[in-house]
Amino acid sequence: MAASIKHQLFFPHPPRAVWEYLTNAELMELWLMKNNFQPIVGHDFQFRINPVPSLDFDGIVYCKVLEIVPFKKLSYSWKLGPGDGTLNIDSVVRWELHPKDNGTELVLDHGDFVVMENIGIFNSMNEGWRKNMHKIADRLNAPDHATTKA
Amino acid sequence: MLLSKKSLTISSLAENFDMSRPAVSKHIKILDSAGFISIQDIGRERHCTLKQDGFNALHEWLRYFDQFWTSKLKNLENLLNNKLPN
Repeated sequence: MAASIKHQLFFPHPPRAVWEYLTNAELMELWLMKNNFQPIVGHDFQFRINPVPSLDFDGIVYCKVLEIVPFKKLSYSWKLGPGDGTLNIDSVVRWELHPKDNGTELVLDHGDFVVMENIGIFNSMNEGWRKNMHKIADRLNAPDHATTKA
Repeated sequence: MLLSKKSLTISSLAENFDMSRPAVSKHIKILDSAGFISIQDIGRERHCTLKQDGFNALHEWLRYFDQFWTSKLKNLENLLNNKLPN
């Protein structure tokens, strides 16, 4: 879906210092969640937090590192579910670090949400299908223009 | 939204995309099983209507994660900004 969560923060520290808190598992645990993150593209890891029964969430977030540009960009997939083996929420977390004169601007974009009720179909979708599905959903969400025909 | 006030046939939906009609049909089935739309066969056409519930689930999650990140980033802020300057 087109919707995403955006946050932006400034830190009076250089990008390298902020990067450590995004990529070192022990430092991450201090502010984020217990994890077994490693800054390697393709690495599968998990975050563990308290379950949220009202959202049917068992508290485990399954992630895979998608992109790393040291001290600049970090992104990982962020999937979760009720804990019975199905993952019915899929999304992507993207971090960007922008150096400023006296520190770092940290930008978070948590988006590309897919909320699926029927997990069997979702699991059999490869990346291409996912992208197309987002396109259809965006179209369904787009404002109703008079006509889109050329 | 294309579907917000009315239902659309798969053929007319397909006209909006650079995709073959069978491909659109496949995507529609996925959106149907995901709970975002409902499909009715009327005559020889399949009509698609938007289901609000699917989007409501998404909004719940967006709300949850927005609060989640606000709180976590506050932790990070406290942690980093309590460090002594280099």
